[in-house]
Amino acid sequence: MDRRNFLKLLGISSGTALISSCGVDKANEKIIPYVIPPEEDIFVGNPAYFTTTCTECPANCGMQVTANEKVYHDVRNIFPTKLEGIAGHPVNDGALCMRGQASLFRLYHPDRIKRPMMRDGDGNFRVTTWKEAYAKIIVELAAATGEGKRNMYFSGRTTGTMSGLTDDFCKEMSVERLPEFEVFSHANLKKANDIVFNRPEIPHYRIENADFLLTVGADVVETFMNPVASANHIQKAKDKNNLSWYHIEPAVSLTGVQASKRFAIKLHSEVYLLAFLLQSLSQQNSLKKSLPARISRLIPDYSITVIAERTGLSEENLRLLLSRFANAKTPLIIAGGVSTAQENGLETAVFAALLQWATGMTDNTVDFDHAENYGSVGSMLDVRKLEDSLKNKQVGVLFISRTDPVTYLPEAEQFVELMKNTRLRVALSDFMTSTVQECDIVLPLSHSLEAWGDAAPRKGIRNVIQPAIEPQYDTRSEGDILLQIMAQKSGAASAQFYNDYLIDKWHSLYGEGETVGMLERGYREEPVPSLPAILSGDGTEAFLKNAGFVVESSDKPVLVITPSIRAYDGRSKVLPLMSEIPDPLTTITYGEWISVSDKTAKKMGWKDRDEVAVELNGVSLKFPVKVQHLLPENIYMVQRDLIYPQATPVDSRSGEESWYVKDISVNATGNHIPMPIMSGSMHEDNRGLLPPEEEEHPYEHKEEHPVGRMYAPHEHDNYRWGMAIDMDSCIGCSACVAACYVENNLAITGKKAHLNGREMSWIRLEPWVKDDETINYDLMLCQQCDDAPCEPVCPVYATYHSKEGLNTQVYNRCVGTRYCSNNCPYKVRRFNWFDFRLPEPWDKMYNPEVSVRTRGIMEKCTFCIQRIRHAKDKAKDENRLVQDGEITTACAQTCPTNAITFGNLMDKNSRVSKLAHSNRAYRALEELGTEPAVHYLPKKESKEEA
Amino acid sequence: MKRRVAPVVITAYFLLFALFVLLMGYFWNENQKTPVQPINFSHQIHVSKVGLQCTFCHTTVEKSRFAGIPSVQKCMSCHKSVKTESPEIQKLTKYWNEKKPVPWRRVYSFTIQNYVYFTHKRHIKAGLECSNCHGEVKVMPHIERVRKLEMGWCISCHRAKNAPTDCWTCHK
Amino acid sequence: MKSIEYNEQLERDVLAALSKPSPWYWVALVVCALLFVTGLSLWLYQILKGMGVSGLNNPVGWGTYITDFVFWVGIAHSGTLISAILFLFRAKFRNAFNRSAEAMTVFAVMTAGLFPLIHLGRTWFFYWLFPYPNQRGLWVNFKSPLVWDVFAVSTYFTISLIFWYTGLVPDIAIVRRYATGFRKKIYSIFSLGWTGSLRQWWHYNRLYVFLAAFATPLVISVHSVVSWDFAMSIIPGWHTTIFAPYFVAGAIFSGTGMVITLVVPMRKIFRLEKLITINHFEKIAQTLLFTSLIVTYSYIVEFGLAFYGHHQFEAAHFTYRLLGDYQVLYWIMLFGNSLLPLTLFVRKLRRSIVYLFIVSIFVNIGMWLERFVIIVTSLAKDFDPYAWGLYKPSVVEIGITLGSFGMFFMFFLIFVKVLPVLSVTEIKEEAAHE
Repeated sequence: MDRRNFLKLLGISSGTALISSCGVDKANEKIIPYVIPPEEDIFVGNPAYFTTTCTECPANCGMQVTANEKVYHDVRNIFPTKLEGIAGHPVNDGALCMRGQASLFRLYHPDRIKRPMMRDGDGNFRVTTWKEAYAKIIVELAAATGEGKRNMYFSGRTTGTMSGLTDDFCKEMSVERLPEFEVFSHANLKKANDIVFNRPEIPHYRIENADFLLTVGADVVETFMNPVASANHIQKAKDKNNLSWYHIEPAVSLTGVQASKRFAIKLHSEVYLLAFLLQSLSQQNSLKKSLPARISRLIPDYSITVIAERTGLSEENLRLLLSRFANAKTPLIIAGGVSTAQENGLETAVFAALLQWATGMTDNTVDFDHAENYGSVGSMLDVRKLEDSLKNKQVGVLFISRTDPVTYLPEAEQFVELMKNTRLRVALSDFMTSTVQECDIVLPLSHSLEAWGDAAPRKGIRNVIQPAIEPQYDTRSEGDILLQIMAQKSGAASAQFYNDYLIDKWHSLYGEGETVGMLERGYREEPVPSLPAILSGDGTEAFLKNAGFVVESSDKPVLVITPSIRAYDGRSKVLPLMSEIPDPLTTITYGEWISVSDKTAKKMGWKDRDEVAVELNGVSLKFPVKVQHLLPENIYMVQRDLIYPQATPVDSRSGEESWYVKDISVNATGNHIPMPIMSGSMHEDNRGLLPPEEEEHPYEHKEEHPVGRMYAPHEHDNYRWGMAIDMDSCIGCSACVAACYVENNLAITGKKAHLNGREMSWIRLEPWVKDDETINYDLMLCQQCDDAPCEPVCPVYATYHSKEGLNTQVYNRCVGTRYCSNNCPYKVRRFNWFDFRLPEPWDKMYNPEVSVRTRGIMEKCTFCIQRIRHAKDKAKDENRLVQDGEITTACAQTCPTNAITFGNLMDKNSRVSKLAHSNRAYRALEELGTEPAVHYLPKKESKEEA
Repeated sequence: MKRRVAPVVITAYFLLFALFVLLMGYFWNENQKTPVQPINFSHQIHVSKVGLQCTFCHTTVEKSRFAGIPSVQKCMSCHKSVKTESPEIQKLTKYWNEKKPVPWRRVYSFTIQNYVYFTHKRHIKAGLECSNCHGEVKVMPHIERVRKLEMGWCISCHRAKNAPTDCWTCHK
Repeated sequence: MKSIEYNEQLERDVLAALSKPSPWYWVALVVCALLFVTGLSLWLYQILKGMGVSGLNNPVGWGTYITDFVFWVGIAHSGTLISAILFLFRAKFRNAFNRSAEAMTVFAVMTAGLFPLIHLGRTWFFYWLFPYPNQRGLWVNFKSPLVWDVFAVSTYFTISLIFWYTGLVPDIAIVRRYATGFRKKIYSIFSLGWTGSLRQWWHYNRLYVFLAAFATPLVISVHSVVSWDFAMSIIPGWHTTIFAPYFVAGAIFSGTGMVITLVVPMRKIFRLEKLITINHFEKIAQTLLFTSLIVTYSYIVEFGLAFYGHHQFEAAHFTYRLLGDYQVLYWIMLFGNSLLPLTLFVRKLRRSIVYLFIVSIFVNIGMWLERFVIIVTSLAKDFDPYAWGLYKPSVVEIGITLGSFGMFFMFFLIFVKVLPVLSVTEIKEEAAHE
């Protein structure tokens, strides 16, 4: 049943609102009517907005879909063209990460499985009908139970109503539901909280309430838990209680670079640091709660010198940390990521929990009542269990849903072999993953933008999932599939639809009115019972008694396999946009690389793009080198999605898999691999892109020569659009870049083009290494200069200065001399070298408001002028001027930390003018006298820290 | 021998020119003023005889860029009963039964429409009559284009009515 | 006062060049024609595929094509210089060269004129660069140096063509006298019924002087405008006030080089030793040396400005030009343009035709590289280090460049067979004065 009738049944119509975007039909000479017009009042210029949930990663951000009316292949229909966070949503509050922005590429992906398939006699997949597939499953299930075998349901993280339905299904069909499989299971965290507080959960960290944040390895702004929320809350904390945020990590991460202070720590030695902090703090009794003696005496106690030696932190830094904790009112410690996924991981997590408890832990900071919904997520131990029962041929039918163990497990081949020991393997998936290849029946899943559902990212929040487009292929939602199988078994004439099932559930849970409210809002916050976390002496003591602390003695090279901000655990790699956008730390787009410490590189004489062979676990893998500043010597980094899963030690207590591959050897092969590193140089040399340093002010001569001008300065009557970018808030997550791609129909140009320096991004993040100690970013987009060098040189007026201060580009007037780009000191103009455009069916996502540029045309950022135009149109109807905050650009809209402020510089009270005139503000390459409309607020040098 | 070369060359040249002209004619014919519509729909009947308002079918003209083209359902709402015997209406019914849209031919299309932002709403709100640009539709048995939609033409009117003439008023 | 016999002899010598071409001529012509056609087809390919087939990228938006453009315009100039300016100064030695120099000008401008079109992303809209009344009511942007180019180059072409043709008229008349049959018809049409009457000569001289006077300032203005394509921008390495004189000198320098490159073989092939003497070559060599010194001076000034002005970006750029990715090209350029010509201070070398020929080749290469280095290095590394990138000409660009040479030499070869390569009348005149 389609959403229209469903909504009728609910008696509501989806909320239309805010910004819109639309367009007349493409230049086809036909004019296509609807056969049946949609129920909602959607017409050109008035798109529909649906509230739903992002399912690109387990964070489940609330998402608002913009669905536009347009004609595609001679059919007038509505298509989702843009995704944005739901403003005020408890998880992501309006923001969305780059993966979320890009998930339209999954919806329209050509490689999606388009119809159910079944393996035939000679082992090939052939298209089948749902009924047939179900029948086979039912038969096999019965047969398996007959044989006394166990059927198993193995899925990715499942929350909300779907979880309940799965249980019903399993009961009904006598199937065992296995713990869910997630690569980032955070098993050590859960275990540690179990040990220390008897709460085997991952609490909801309320960073916004902290005044001191210590992140131990947890890449909170990249992949840890909910990066969007964390980033957002860190900003809130900065504003509210002037948060200072320290990060400790053995390698280097974007998160570390963004923290106000970053300490590189020796491998495995986090636990010593934490122990030291506990002991020293209690000795100078600045602990809020003192640990019971039986615990504290089990905590190793070393002198500061020893610790300094073990951890590699200087003594003054250790003292600094101590004083921070001593003075902090509401400190917050988040251990995770590289620091908990290692031999000492569990200990680290436990000590972090203890330190948190001792330095003051309230529901304001560490909130177990709203714990992240990881309860039913298993660990490697559960995978081992599954493998055992497969080994012993105990499994009849194996359902594998929304997860891809064959890709993620080191022992892939073995697992494939074991899978063969089952009667029947049923895959529920949207893509032909390596796991699906090994199954007998493939049931294609609809994208969450084509299906109904709900999700519970953490306790107390229920997110709605509702479709914005009808299924494009013969796919179904997991809910429908399970219900239909059950129905077919019980011989019912027709199955209940999952959305009916949902409503019944929702009605019974929240009542009708609330259900409607929830659908309009897109989420519902529900009260949860509050029970405080109490320190469990026994558990902790028992653990500490036989806890062993690995000491990293050898300085052999170690490979750290890190998560990827672009691909998460690898699942988002199918989104082409994620390869098109540079990795924020290295600015590499396509292909694989190994990050090598600059010190090591210097020693070995390696440069970017030199190929090295990495010997690990008996195999030799080749990678091109990327020199990475701030990375400690002998540490190498490869992102998880760029290397096959490596066999690493698994903690027998928690089932957490270590991310370190030890005793590797790295040798240059002498080859050079072309690699698209977007950054021409990481050294800014005080050129005026970053704020000038006090001592040598590059603009010192500025007063000496006043700017003479041949032409009168530009007049602006009502508007001059401008932007303020706070690089202190910016965390380099690149969500803005993704948003720009989708909003403005930017083309995906591919690896070859990138190697030739032909990327199309209108906005980019530029990392700058400062004296090998810090990496600062600037966000470069068209500066909309008032005295723009690009304008006078265009022979045909294709680019010109609009009355509102924009350097607009009239695409169909451009003849392509490229003079404007040559003359642009910011190099933010992009030339369309070939007919760069999205291939079908991805072009369904094109924003009809924005022209798709063709071959030989120069294109550029115009502050999302389509949004400006629409706002002005609206204002004109109401016969007023555009208000401050009424328009926001795509990049600003999706920024988790609201680092970007867009508005009217002519309006002295607009937020942007206030920021632009703050004494922190500076402009890029100001010396050139281009009078940019973009004002930067520099990263605050944490001087008081040192 | 020499004497023959010249005339051959000359005739060849003229043949080429003729071919060129024919091609031009063909392409001109492509966006002709009165394209052949899949159904012989008469605005004259619907406006003059039946007396429908423009907005009855072109519903969004006052609130959208796009005037709106009636859905097949809308046509059928009358033609389920009206004039069902006429062959043209039977064509329509056929589309309806196949749940296919009627592939109407565009009459007013910008040459590089992709780069043009035109909004009916704004022009209606500015008090223009449909006929100012579309001519006396009510007397057209076959709808035909009465304006060339050239940039110069738009500008001249914008200047006369001192409407904005900034490029990005109409370009996108 | 030389005798009639002398004139007869002279005419025969000159017109000998127009006699039946040798097989080698045909080979040369076919090779050039093939190059030309290849160039054209590559251009077509580029139009169909997009500018991406070139090596250009962000940030390097201009490369080989613009280099070729400036190079050919430069070549054109010395033609005008030799024929017009030296004419005004009544420099005798010019007579040996002026005809081929003028021809060179015309063909070079034709070639140069193509490149601005070739480098357009949407060549099919090239006519938007011309100010013509249109229904859109749109005009060109007169602030843009590219528009100035349009005027400069078109004016230059027209004037050079007329100047060249005017000079030809009396000679064509002579050829007409010797030609027979079909060719005679053609020549008589183009000799515009020249009879050599006193009145005609009177008009002719008035016009010729006038045109010479008109063409001379164009040498300066046209190449200044071309140089402003760069000087008007803000890119370090482009944005400098010395560019106009610097480029003009460079143009004359490269042009003179090309004259030698052309005339040496021509002299050999058509046995014009009697008429183009070693003294003529020495004079040309001196011009070459002189302009080389000016160019070298400009190189020094450039660096002076950059480092004396201790402007961060300029300094960084010129360091890069000298020691960066393209340093090899820069050093070759310095050798060809500044060092090698210095040897011409030695009289012996100045008078060695072979040596002059070699030098001229190096000058041609050096001057091409000069433009390439200026254009590419400036763009490759400008203000924002993130956006830095390198450029390497693609096969298509190289092909089109070779094609342009093919075109130029093809026209030149045709010219030497259909028109007198030396100005008979002027040589007569010169002789008469002796």
